[in-house]
Amino acid sequence: MDRIRARDPVAFESLYDAYHRLVFGIGLRMLGDPSMAEDLTQSVFLKIWTAPDAFRGGSFTAWVSRVARNRALDVLRSRAVRPETEIPADLPLDGALDDDVFTRIDAQRVRDALAQLPSDQRDLIELGFFGGVTHQELAQRTATPLGTVKTRIRAGLRKMRESLGERVSQ
Amino acid sequence: MSVPMPRDEMMEVVALYALGVLPREESALVAAFVAGDDDARREYHDLRAAADTIAFAAEEPVDSAASARMKERLVAKVRADAAGGNPVARRRIGPNPGWLWGTGLAAAAALVFSFVTVAQDVALRGDLAQTKRRAETLANQLAQTERVSRNDRQTLTDLVSSDARRYEVAQGAVVVRGDHVYFALSKLPALPKGRVYQAWTVLKGAKAVQPSVTFTPNADGVAVVQLPVDALKIGAVAVTVEPDGGSKAPTTSPTFVRPLS
Repeated sequence: MDRIRARDPVAFESLYDAYHRLVFGIGLRMLGDPSMAEDLTQSVFLKIWTAPDAFRGGSFTAWVSRVARNRALDVLRSRAVRPETEIPADLPLDGALDDDVFTRIDAQRVRDALAQLPSDQRDLIELGFFGGVTHQELAQRTATPLGTVKTRIRAGLRKMRESLGERVSQ
Repeated sequence: MSVPMPRDEMMEVVALYALGVLPREESALVAAFVAGDDDARREYHDLRAAADTIAFAAEEPVDSAASARMKERLVAKVRADAAGGNPVARRRIGPNPGWLWGTGLAAAAALVFSFVTVAQDVALRGDLAQTKRRAETLANQLAQTERVSRNDRQTLTDLVSSDARRYEVAQGAVVVRGDHVYFALSKLPALPKGRVYQAWTVLKGAKAVQPSVTFTPNADGVAVVQLPVDALKIGAVAVTVEPDGGSKAPTTSPTFVRPLS
């Protein structure tokens, strides 16, 4: 990122090569349309180029994932005419995993960890993360009591952490 | 005021916060809780770590043509920007098809259409000016929303940060991170109409209190407030109940006084 701050296009290309599959994947999963996922990918990488100081250390992978998710949430909101304040545009990034941790995790391991969850926990977690909905909406969409939604999400995230074991230990 | 949520339930809400499915107003409540509770902070960092990995499940191989197309467009913009140019501004206007006409025909056509063109031009300029004003208004609104959003994000980040210093008070915590100081209070009694809470600061080495912001908690007794002061210069903070609009000096006994050392 230091080289990108110094306006180095070659560094930008390397960054794009390393992360565009992740950003595109988040866009595709959340928006369900390849051309919109392409637009989102371009928008995220242009943001990185034009405002590199928005990344203030920590895990770049976690940061770029959140930026992609937030952009997709914006699109979903504009699509659904959802009140802007319904879900925070961003979450605090402090305390997120460092890049060293992310190098020990890959997509397949996370998919395996998710697959090991009971479906009622996995569905809520995936819909919550990729669907851009609140916990109340999760309860409505899955016809599940709100208290059960909370309990299942907490239990599911704890199991995820256990499944990924030391890979997510900080 | 609504009944405060039991601690066990709050811990479940921390998981929702970590996953990013809480509405904004509830996020502030959880941030205040996390700021003042060591167990909740550990829980948040643990579950946030798990939630952060979920994005990986979405990683997709991108069709090579699409990947190349995106990269080509992006890199062209980036290289132009790095070279100090603006590809849009530098784009040249193509040859005017009018030059393909004979000179006389072009002149005649210009005469015939000139009145219509002038009228259209005036109307279009009016529309354009109106559109520009509307765009400026929207841009200002957007900039303001982004400023608020940035402040919110900074506040939430500071409140749950592991390197923030926390000073417990009966109603929650005073949180200091860098030169920022916040009240993250979740147990404030409701106030009668016409009364507000007011923050006070005492500079290091000073004895007199300085008036700071006034605030009111929400229906749950939650208030997350950033004091407009440099935390590095502050020796203590306090809160009192004052008349609406605030006072120049405290007029009631403090709700709390907290040295920041």
